[in-house]
Amino acid sequence: MLDITNIISAVLKGDEPEVKLLVLEAISTGEKAGDIMNKGLIAGMDEVGKKMEAEDMFIPEVLMSARAMNSGAQILKPHLTEEDSGGIGVLVIGTVQGDQHDIGKNLVKMLMEGAGFEVVDLGTDVDPHKFVSAVRDNNATILAMSALLTTTMPMMADVISALNSEGLRDRVKVLVGGAPVTEEFSDEIGADGYGPDAGSAVRIAKTLISGEV
Amino acid sequence: MASICSNEQALNSPFAKKLADEQCQKIYWACLEILERTGVCLYDQDAVDILKKAGAYVTNGNRVRIPSGMVEKAFSTVPKNLSLYDRMGNRVMQVGGYRSYFGTGSDCLNIIDHRTGERRQAVLQDITEGMTVCDSLDHIDFVMSMFLPSDVPQERLDRYEMEVMLNNTTKPIIYVTTEFSGCADAVKMAEIVAGGEDTLRCRPFAACYINVTTGLRHNEEALQKLLYLSEKGLPFTYIPSAQGGVTAPITIAGTMAVNYAGVLTGLVLSQLKREGAPFIMPGWGGNMLDMKTMVQPYADPQKRAQSIDFVHYLGLPMFSLAGCSESKLVDQQAAIEAALTLFTDALFGGNLVHDVGYLESGLCGSLPQVVICNEILDWLSAFMKGIEINDETLALDLIDEVGPDGQYLDNPHTLKHFKERWYPKLFDRSNYNGWKSKGGKSLGKRASESVDQILAEHKPEPLPKDVADAVHAIVVEN
Ligand code: B12
Repeated sequence: MLDITNIISAVLKGDEPEVKLLVLEAISTGEKAGDIMNKGLIAGMDEVGKKMEAEDMFIPEVLMSARAMNSGAQILKPHLTEEDSGGIGVLVIGTVQGDQHDIGKNLVKMLMEGAGFEVVDLGTDVDPHKFVSAVRDNNATILAMSALLTTTMPMMADVISALNSEGLRDRVKVLVGGAPVTEEFSDEIGADGYGPDAGSAVRIAKTLISGEV
Repeated sequence: MASICSNEQALNSPFAKKLADEQCQKIYWACLEILERTGVCLYDQDAVDILKKAGAYVTNGNRVRIPSGMVEKAFSTVPKNLSLYDRMGNRVMQVGGYRSYFGTGSDCLNIIDHRTGERRQAVLQDITEGMTVCDSLDHIDFVMSMFLPSDVPQERLDRYEMEVMLNNTTKPIIYVTTEFSGCADAVKMAEIVAGGEDTLRCRPFAACYINVTTGLRHNEEALQKLLYLSEKGLPFTYIPSAQGGVTAPITIAGTMAVNYAGVLTGLVLSQLKREGAPFIMPGWGGNMLDMKTMVQPYADPQKRAQSIDFVHYLGLPMFSLAGCSESKLVDQQAAIEAALTLFTDALFGGNLVHDVGYLESGLCGSLPQVVICNEILDWLSAFMKGIEINDETLALDLIDEVGPDGQYLDNPHTLKHFKERWYPKLFDRSNYNGWKSKGGKSLGKRASESVDQILAEHKPEPLPKDVADAVHAIVVEN
């Protein structure tokens, strides 16, 4: 019988070949695909997330872990049943109109991918309508916006009102972030969540979709 | 006014170097190869057209590859030294060579209010007070806005910043604007104050700080500002922010190569727009992101000095960065990081050294921290002087006359020279009881009291009423 916790430590080490090997082994020994996914790969990334938030891991290492996790998930895909293969959802992300800062946004994007989201990246300087159509076209679960300038922060509110007028607001959770953005601002504009850094962004995104607070 | 100059007395006063000329040459050649081989993406049609016409190779609409010869040619027309004036038209800075001038940073979202000790969002009044303090401090040679005012219409905040700077200090200004229109307005305001377009060009007292997306990707506003200011012959910095490990290789040499390839693109464009247009290089490079916190560390030891050497090698005026800290408080870390970074820039000879007083990696500022930096700079200006060695200073006759058993305290030679030695204004040298009887205060407390005293006593020279009105009209115009 295979010890699934080996997968966790291989994910933590960011050892892609090892993760692939262990996933294949687990499948061949008859482990349930859903268990390999949840108790192995995702549990591994949860550990990674915790370590990252504790500043106990370097981001390039985190990204190696995410890559290893994704390769494992690719192998697992054909074995997953309808209900456990749903992924955790589609996340649309972009930097708001007028803003060129994208380093933080890209980081959030990569970690969200690592956490299992299917990510649609709209880039920088994204106008509100583009956000809205991307949410509609991709049936997004989460809309994540980044702003690094106080002058562009108000665009986030514009996007939310555009979602409202298109009748899409109830279908998507809105997550905001970027250096000048605060919890209060997020509440003020009626966003669903705010993350001060990329690590917490993932955690908050997950709580938003699971409905826990 | 500043008197800090590295290597002031040709090897007989302090100076330092991290890169040999041969190493600088390798980096320069690397930049040239990047420009010829990889090229840059420019998001402004005018910029692409100008380069294309001059011989650059353009593909995919905006991917521009620049032959080395174009870069070499730009060096032959760009000024190697730049005079900056104060608001009244006095020449106060010769930017270039190894002379160092110091100034604040711009646009901090937060301030640690010295009256309450609380961190809060900054407002316009904080800039007024900041400028007043800077106007009075001996070692703050130029200003940037320091804070980002949260209580004005955000789309015009850069105009408000410019107005407050013009109103509250006569020192040279380096302005930052979000969009191109803000830059044009800042220039208009400066022209009004100078008394016309030509006067401002002849006696520039304001320069624009331009940021560029990355070394090899240049955003539209940055290029528009560059072309506009070059055409007018007004000074500006052109600073791509290549981040090691993110938008450039993590290695210092690799980040520098990408970063300066971007800077050289700006240089070529500026000289194509107007031969002889002033151009200020960034004097830091090899930026990184902290791979644990993802914060861009301003006081990072490894991003400094080599770029100052490199820009000296290229022989152009530079904008540098020091006196800043990652600390969240005006505390030991803040003082140490400020001191070490200022020391480095003084030794290596960074020219326009900005960000003095920055905390929290550029997100917070503090007036007492600026006052502490001023004291550090006072210390440095004493340290950086060479030593005079001659009959008068060796005083051999006097030594013989006083003999082994005598003393010098009441000797005329002592009286004549004792003021040449440095005395602190803010650092404390009292004995324990003396310190205790003055209230037993920490450096932070003394700096904070000094801020209060300056604000109560110092009255910056105001702009003439009609000039101030004309400037204000631009701030509020739609
Ligand atoms: C690097 C940088 C740049 C680079 C950006 C390069 C790029 N490709 O992104 C360049 C040089 C291009 C640049 C340009 C400008 N900049 Co700038 N820049 C910075 C700097 C130094 C660091 C930003 C950064 O990348 N940090 C690292 C990343 C990893 O952190 P982050 O973005 O904060 O992201 C983290 C969190 O915020 C969070 N997060 C981010 N997004 C999201 C989204 C979600 C959904 C969630 C949950 C979380 C989240 O997670 C991330 C990871 O932990 C900041 C200062 C600072 N300390 O923030 C100034 C700063 C933001 N810039 C500033 C300014 C003024 C400008 C310019 C206007 C300057 C100019 N006149 O040219 C231009 C604006 C151009 C434009 N239109 O956008 C000011 C902002 C002032 C303001 N008005 O608010 C700052 C604060 C500096 C300062 N004090 O003056 N800048």
